[in-house]
Amino acid sequence: MEPSTGEMTRRKFMSAAIASIGGLISAALGLPAIAYIISPALKKQVEDWVRLGAINKVELGTPTLFKTSIERQTGWITDQEEISAYVLTEDGQNYIAMSNICTHLGCRARWIEEQAQFFCPCHNGVFSKDGSVVSGPPPRPLDRFETKVEDGTLFIRKG
Amino acid sequence: MLTRLGDWLDERFGWRKVWASIFLRKIPHVNWAYTLGSATLFVAVLQIVTGILLTIYYVPTPDHAYDSVVYITTQVAAGWFIRGLHHWGASAMVILTVLHMLRTFFYGAYKFPREVTWSTGVILLLIVIGFGFTGYLLPWDQKAYWATTVGTEIAGVAPGIGPWIIRVARGGEELSAVTLARFFGAHVWVLPAALLTLLAVHLYLVIRIGITAAPKRDE
Repeated sequence: MEPSTGEMTRRKFMSAAIASIGGLISAALGLPAIAYIISPALKKQVEDWVRLGAINKVELGTPTLFKTSIERQTGWITDQEEISAYVLTEDGQNYIAMSNICTHLGCRARWIEEQAQFFCPCHNGVFSKDGSVVSGPPPRPLDRFETKVEDGTLFIRKG
Repeated sequence: MLTRLGDWLDERFGWRKVWASIFLRKIPHVNWAYTLGSATLFVAVLQIVTGILLTIYYVPTPDHAYDSVVYITTQVAAGWFIRGLHHWGASAMVILTVLHMLRTFFYGAYKFPREVTWSTGVILLLIVIGFGFTGYLLPWDQKAYWATTVGTEIAGVAPGIGPWIIRVARGGEELSAVTLARFFGAHVWVLPAALLTLLAVHLYLVIRIGITAAPKRDE
């Protein structure tokens, strides 16, 4: 070890030079590496209106399940993604569309006709017909889609 | 504070002694040609880092390999940069390893007591070439496909066992999903394991024996 004086010695200069060049190279590789790893996570999917089906298929006062599939680009793969939504109308004028994805841990909830409730089999989450939580672990009501009706056809969009 | 932490760790690890024998060892008066080994090591580390990063997106199957490579190059942030480093680094590896070997050869540095350093180095050169050959197939584009067709075909002219070598290298009669998968496995598991093992021996010997001085005219 060198005696530590304030003077710049040849050895100190070399150490400092090596450390700064090394730091520069590490940063030049490290920063792009971080961007490289997280970049797909930051990509926002452009949400479009999805055609769900004819409104006259919706039963009055009962959540009706609609299924459709959309083309989605995930990474380098173009995939068909299944979209399911329960549509409820009380008056035939106003529609609410709910996702069937349980807000607890992402299992699929389904409408049980006899109990007139949504039930999620994973952890016994129960939702009422407008999606609010009745019992079980779900932290919030079922997620809703934006809806619009055009020429008797129902469209939804992720909010 | 930092010194105290260093002392605490040194009491347990003895890292200062290790540090000193790696970085503060005495070396004879040498020239720039003696940095070729370190340059090779630097690029090797670069290849390991960028290679690990590439496996985050790359998929070694015929239906996804090319698309995932295009995805890396065009969609992922800095993907072109990481892949570019790996691509050019591969050529740099071969060139630097060969130059490093030539320096060792022409300075007679392979002689006693460095024969084992030399022979591990020779195997390391073969491993580097193996990396180049297996890595070339992975983008699964036309160049990759036909280069590997030709490359494995060349191995097939070996007398007697040639056809057998082709079949083993390709995992069958022709290039297929099996070929791509085994080249990938070789490229990211088999060869790196071999490289790191031999590199450890190689570097240990460099540090233990020390490097040669440049030979004098009358030697």
